Amino acid sequence: MSILETRNVTKRFGGLSAVDNVSIQIPKGSIYSIIGPNGAGKTTLYNCITGFYPADEGDMLFQGESLLGLSPDKITRKGISRTYQNIRLFPAMTALENILVGAHPQLKSNYVDAILHTPRQKREEKQALQDAQELLNFVELTGKGDLLARNLPYGEQRRLEMARALANKPAIILLDEPTAGMNPNESVIMMRFIETLRDKLGITILLIEHDMKVVMGISEFIYVLDFGQLIAKGTPGEIQNNPQVIESYLGRGDV
Amino acid sequence: MKKLIKQGNQTGLIFGIVLIFLILFGLTTTLSEIVGDFLKLSSNARASNTGGLMVLFALAGLWAGSRVDDAEKSDLKSTLTFGVSAGIVIGLFIGIFILLVGYLDSVDVEMRAYLAQLDHQSVLFLLFGRSIAAGSLISFGIFSVFGTLGGLLTFTLETRKAGEYVQEQIFTVKGKVLGSKLAKQYQSNPRSKWIGYGVLAIVVFLMPQFIGRYWNYAMGTVGIYVLMGLGLNIVVGLAGLLDLGYVAFFAIGAYVLGLLTAPEPIALTLGFWPVLILSVVIAAFAGIILGIPVLRMRGDYLAIVTLGFGEIIRVLIRSDMMAPYLGGPQGIRDIGGPSIFGWNLSTEKGYLYLIFLGIIITIILTNFIQSSRVGRAWMAMREDETVAQAMGINTFYYKLMAFATGAAFAGLGGALFAARNQYTGPADHTLMVSINVLCLLIVGGMGSVPGIIVGAFVLKGLPEVLRELDIYRMLVFGGLLVYMMIIRPEGLWPAPRRKMELHLDEPDDLPTDESLVGYEG
Repeated sequence: MSILETRNVTKRFGGLSAVDNVSIQIPKGSIYSIIGPNGAGKTTLYNCITGFYPADEGDMLFQGESLLGLSPDKITRKGISRTYQNIRLFPAMTALENILVGAHPQLKSNYVDAILHTPRQKREEKQALQDAQELLNFVELTGKGDLLARNLPYGEQRRLEMARALANKPAIILLDEPTAGMNPNESVIMMRFIETLRDKLGITILLIEHDMKVVMGISEFIYVLDFGQLIAKGTPGEIQNNPQVIESYLGRGDV
Repeated sequence: MKKLIKQGNQTGLIFGIVLIFLILFGLTTTLSEIVGDFLKLSSNARASNTGGLMVLFALAGLWAGSRVDDAEKSDLKSTLTFGVSAGIVIGLFIGIFILLVGYLDSVDVEMRAYLAQLDHQSVLFLLFGRSIAAGSLISFGIFSVFGTLGGLLTFTLETRKAGEYVQEQIFTVKGKVLGSKLAKQYQSNPRSKWIGYGVLAIVVFLMPQFIGRYWNYAMGTVGIYVLMGLGLNIVVGLAGLLDLGYVAFFAIGAYVLGLLTAPEPIALTLGFWPVLILSVVIAAFAGIILGIPVLRMRGDYLAIVTLGFGEIIRVLIRSDMMAPYLGGPQGIRDIGGPSIFGWNLSTEKGYLYLIFLGIIITIILTNFIQSSRVGRAWMAMREDETVAQAMGINTFYYKLMAFATGAAFAGLGGALFAARNQYTGPADHTLMVSINVLCLLIVGGMGSVPGIIVGAFVLKGLPEVLRELDIYRMLVFGGLLVYMMIIRPEGLWPAPRRKMELHLDEPDDLPTDESLVGYEG
């Protein structure tokens, strides 16, 4: 059964259909990719799934339940995490605090616990700090927990954003161009890292990516969007030889 | 040389213009009274206390004359040229101004119609009580001489390296103190923090016993502003919600306590303690009620709406319509005071202790909440509301909680304020209260408890010390705020984190900043 599914999702901005009748199915424990030229509607589809844009038509299902009409925070609490194409950390908070904010849905202490500093809250806080530290180690930022997020170098910010998304203990994580701005070497490391997430933590991965080497090397299945429409889907081998995909990427050649 | 004359003239021009403005504000009169009192110059009548004015002019001249470029300071001729040219220009400026004013006054032109401060007495004062010609010549003389002296002084100080010498001494003393055995022991002892707190607690406990009624009252006012600053810090500093109607909750706290303990207009006269708690709760509740419609807005819109809300509350408590229930423009009198175990607390001293207790509780609660899941959610919202929501934070709920917490602290401040004065009325709850609290946050340092205390002292305590300057407070406020924003945007005593944000980290130009952080890439 698929963990995440969209059924005929359409999102229009004025007269433009940014996402047009798109249906995708992501099986549990898989690594799937969405590719397409700039402006194809990939990020808009993410925004529809995570609740930031209400879909005009269609339905989104997460573990069989509809996400329609839920606010972004509720959707996140169900176990869907995401990262952003342009890193969006909390710049003036420390790395550790960023992760702790990510763990917000996992923590239970409420306002009264917080203001009265109850034993329950103390216990939970201690555990949360420990977990955050572990995540920090996991993304190889050991010892940088007290630095402000904005003072970390680019690559580390990417990894921190990943750690923040993981702190939610998600069932699926939506990555938006995780290797943007990286050199080929770093991209390969990121690829291995994404595979680890799936293999070790059992997290399903959905990926928007421009780097074809990454996409072809890592994906089990690929959806191709162009002008908001799904123009192709298949395994990396099938996609590479799909004439429509080649056309949308390279333009129509009059041979 | 020409360059120096030009620079000197420019400096003189600026000083001259500023001084004329100060004269027009009447600030020179007040300041010279203070200087005169301080120096024990003759002070039998205002117009004859001209010694203070002379000292003031002399100081201004000295200052202007010493403002030569650092590079030129080691050359006597340069500093003198600068000092003389600056002094002469100010002298001419002020001299001619006084001549003109004196002439107009002598032909009975009513200048007060346009310039409120220029009455006959003031003009006489500016002329040092002498004739027009003599008065303006004296001004010219003072500025020229002291401008020159200023130039000379710069040279002397520079060649003697007096500044460095003093600095060296200070460092030696500081080094000795810090290097001493006692200081080292203090620093290495993990309990030293608690010793520090202990000393502070003793000082706080003993202080009201010794400083007398007037200062107990003044400190109480500062304390109430500290309370409100702590509350607004949660709303603005932590959660990033710019609330300009903060006074509304202050008013609600004051009025709840007033209405329920005073004999009029509602003859309930309940006990002080339960009503104090009730007023805090009602203020918090008002924060929630208000927050529901208002908090859907962001940034500037929120500021405007809250501003309007604060005014609505004030107009409401002033209105004749509500007068039978709220006391109208006359306000509420004979508000009840606290006592504990038959021990009357309604004295300046008692209230000061009560306010201290309130501050301590508030600081503890603030610290707890700041380092919790809730505090982090607030900070995340301040940083990026959209992403905060994507992290699973129910932004609406947390905004309401921030608003309610801030409102509760303001309510406590308002209740104590009303009880202490045994009176509250519309005049206590003007927009200026909101602005004062916001200013003390900015001046002291957003997010920093010591900063808030320092800010409250600067904005509410200093005017008490300098009572004569009270009417110029807004002038000083404005200047101070502009200065702070330029020189020390993080405040006088910033939280370590804010300092970290605004300085030290120059690799800010990396393309990872707000500029690029668009939502849809």
